[in-house]
Amino acid sequence: MDAYVFLKVLWWLLLGILLMGLAIMVGMDMGVGTLLRFVGKNDAERRTVLNIVGPHWDGNQVWFILGGGAIFAAFPSLYATSFSVFYIVMILLLFSMIMRPVAFEYRSKVPAEKWRDTWDWAFLISGAVPMIVYGAAFGNILEGVGFHFGWDGQYYQTESFLSYLLNPFAILCGLLSLSLAIYQGAAMLMIRGTDPIYSRAKKIGSVAALVSVVLFVIGGFWVSGMDGYVLHHADPAMPANISTPQDVTRVAGAWLHNYAAAPILWLIPVVAILAMLAGSLAMRANKSTLAWWLGAVAWIGVLSTAGVSMFPFLMPSSDNPAQSITVWNATGSAYNLVWMTIFSAIFVPTIIAYTTWCFRVMRGKVKSPSPSDTHAY
Amino acid sequence: MKNLLTFVSAAVILGLALFLSVILGDYGPWYFAWLIGTTMIILISAAGAAMFDSQDEELSQQGVSKR
Amino acid sequence: MDMIINPTVVELSRMQFALTALYHFLFVPLTLGLSFILATMETVYVVTKRPIYKEMTQFWGKLFGINFALGVATGLTMEFEFGTNWSMYSHFVGDIFGTPLAIEGLMAFFMESTFVGVMFFGWDRLSPKAHLVVTYLVALGSNLSALWILIANGFMQDPRGGTFDPNTMRMQFTSFIGLIFNPDAQAKFVHTSIAGFVTGSMFVMAVSAYYLLNKKHRDLALRSFRIASIFGVISSVGVITLGDALGYIDAHAQPTKLAAMEAIWKTDTHPVSAAWNLIAIPDRQAQKNVFEIGIPYILTPLLTHTETTVIPGIIDLEQQAKPKIENGIKAMLALKAYNANHSDTSALATFKQYENDMGYGFLAKQFAPDQDLAKVNQANLPSVLDKTANATIPNVWVEFWAFRIMVAAGFAMLVLFAFAAYYSLKNQVERHPLLLKVALWSISLPWIACEFGWITAENGRQPWTVYGWLPTFVSASSHSVAYMVFSLIGFAILYSSFIIAELYLMFKYARLGPQEEHHGDAAPAAGGGLAGKPAFAKASLDRQ
Repeated sequence: MDAYVFLKVLWWLLLGILLMGLAIMVGMDMGVGTLLRFVGKNDAERRTVLNIVGPHWDGNQVWFILGGGAIFAAFPSLYATSFSVFYIVMILLLFSMIMRPVAFEYRSKVPAEKWRDTWDWAFLISGAVPMIVYGAAFGNILEGVGFHFGWDGQYYQTESFLSYLLNPFAILCGLLSLSLAIYQGAAMLMIRGTDPIYSRAKKIGSVAALVSVVLFVIGGFWVSGMDGYVLHHADPAMPANISTPQDVTRVAGAWLHNYAAAPILWLIPVVAILAMLAGSLAMRANKSTLAWWLGAVAWIGVLSTAGVSMFPFLMPSSDNPAQSITVWNATGSAYNLVWMTIFSAIFVPTIIAYTTWCFRVMRGKVKSPSPSDTHAY
Repeated sequence: MKNLLTFVSAAVILGLALFLSVILGDYGPWYFAWLIGTTMIILISAAGAAMFDSQDEELSQQGVSKR
Repeated sequence: MDMIINPTVVELSRMQFALTALYHFLFVPLTLGLSFILATMETVYVVTKRPIYKEMTQFWGKLFGINFALGVATGLTMEFEFGTNWSMYSHFVGDIFGTPLAIEGLMAFFMESTFVGVMFFGWDRLSPKAHLVVTYLVALGSNLSALWILIANGFMQDPRGGTFDPNTMRMQFTSFIGLIFNPDAQAKFVHTSIAGFVTGSMFVMAVSAYYLLNKKHRDLALRSFRIASIFGVISSVGVITLGDALGYIDAHAQPTKLAAMEAIWKTDTHPVSAAWNLIAIPDRQAQKNVFEIGIPYILTPLLTHTETTVIPGIIDLEQQAKPKIENGIKAMLALKAYNANHSDTSALATFKQYENDMGYGFLAKQFAPDQDLAKVNQANLPSVLDKTANATIPNVWVEFWAFRIMVAAGFAMLVLFAFAAYYSLKNQVERHPLLLKVALWSISLPWIACEFGWITAENGRQPWTVYGWLPTFVSASSHSVAYMVFSLIGFAILYSSFIIAELYLMFKYARLGPQEEHHGDAAPAAGGGLAGKPAFAKASLDRQ
């Protein structure tokens, strides 16, 4: 295989791993933020909930920032187009993402009930909105996005943000993403929390897993009838140029073509469904650590299902399918991808090593902080 | 053993510093200047603080009311 | 069918980026400098084992923490905004520009945000030496962060390490060495990092002066004053040296920035006696200074480090741009033809001939009829050339004065630090209340210098996002005005409430001062506190 094609596929896989890691780790914190008002009935309980993710949320958030940088470098055209096409949605995501660190820092600094209650709403918004946006973006992408490029590479947008926000399939995907995040957050609350938080999380989480299964299955049937995209005569080694026309057609049910070509891929959605069902049972059986890992498997399964069905598309264009963004036409140059691979190979293990060290240094059990303790969150 | 370890780590740091100064000195003179300069600023201001403490002790030995 | 770009949207996008970047840059310099000052204090603690230095590290660390949280939160915006608002830019240079941003995340951002939690909460869990290493790693991490961001910025100022490829229609990465050892990036990193040192020094010195004036916390304040004044005086010299180097580098890489910075309209053909404008009121329309006070004989040696190099003035630079614009238009038309048909080798050959001027063709787009270069003909060419040539010069008034405000603030701080260090070394600062008052009231100077420095660098780069290659006008995303109004209002509301909360906490905990009774930081009750922990929270604990 051509070295450049290998690099393109490698970075497609790494992009997938990044999106999965983000969904699992950041999604868990978002789920906890969403649940805050429901699993914590009084201030002491809510503070315990916050301190359960307290040691992790900032580190997890860096994956999000790294995700932005990595997409920028490895898929410049995808970064440039998707962030702009979904402008209003992205700005809402950004606002909720920058509200969250501030909410963590300031909530418990002032004892007034009104103050803390306001910040608890901020946690709900900054937890739920990003997860809905995350899922909805996938939904919109599966349906095809209204954009095309001018000859100089500037994109033209042809749909308004309302069609991305108020779009039934995208909302379905947004809710699936939110329910998986709630499930993941609930599993974490069970691992590190005690009653009454534990039992409330257990109740919500085990239901969220079943809701996820239902949404995922409905979504699957929806996709099977939806217009997908097919790339003919692909040249994977092509210079990455989004304005080079590709031979793309819109075909109903095309998102299942990859599965038809390699039936073994059906295992991926099956594993996702089994993981969600088993996760619900594991929660009921009080196996919280197992439930957390099953949640991670569910995320991997769900995102892989979407990724595999679209490959090699990254963001198909409903406007001018010939200019769809694919793995072949949107990556960085070979030279760039080589350097990115070198840096990732050196620094990802380094990061894992020192993060583990820091977690070891700071390890400890979470107790409910005393009301006057402003040291904790 | 401990001495040997100290010696080896010092040698590694020295080797790294030499390597950096050869590479950086050639390609990135300002980066090199930053490394040297920052180290120098830290050491001189730390020395300033240490000097403060000895001045302080001197004054109290002389029985002069503090500063 | 070239797209018509709405100039209002471009202006609003510029405004949003400038405001969010300037806002982010309120927090960054203090992080860069205070982190190394903390490391210095802790070094003295580890060497001398005097508990006062541990207390100092913890107290200043508290204020560091308040600042750090907002620096991180507002940095998120910057990482997003290239994609959300500068789509064409991101597409055009992402292959080169995105890489240092990704490496910044991998190499630096992870390091600082992971270790900062251990720095705040690991006092009792680590040996003093291990903790010192952690503090140094935080300082190194935040400065490495600045390094990679400024390498990316250096590419915008003086694009090295990549070339335009007509087959991918974007700039492609060709030399990693060229990118990271770009002279502009080097000098800018050192200039910015050390400007951060100056900011940190001024912050520590001013707050210490406040305590000394109020006769509070003398042990802590006198020692902090000593460290900060020495740190500040050496750093100020460094900042000025690097500023000079940066000017020298820009003289070669960005002659338009230099001419605007010094408000030089006509080329002085007698470089030896050329005058440097101390004060000027530039008039863009008349292409001259309405009023100026110049000092003869110092301009040339100041900017070029020689006596005989001629510095081109704005009027000449505009004339020199015109042939480039004509070539650039040819390059763009050939590129368009080649893009439509990749077997059109004559178009490719024409493009290759004028390739280096293609950016000037891009720049002419906004002045062509219907923004379409194909509609430029013999009749309207002179007017397109005039307008485009005029646009190659940044806003002279802003450039001239932003630069002078920065320099004035820098020299004022050098003088102040020199006096402060002198009297501190003689142990006489408390006998000079005037010095202390000046130190206290100068606290805003480094921020003024930093913000105006940013304006000098980025206004001076205009009209380009990538100097000579990609004009700002074509870089922006093609949003509607309504989108931009929505996001601008959102940023205004969020950012103003953040700054109020930040200032409230800063003043509160700076006034409160260190709390002597709590030396060892108790293990956090919540257990396992890791990253981004509110260091300032300790103060309210201590009060009880």
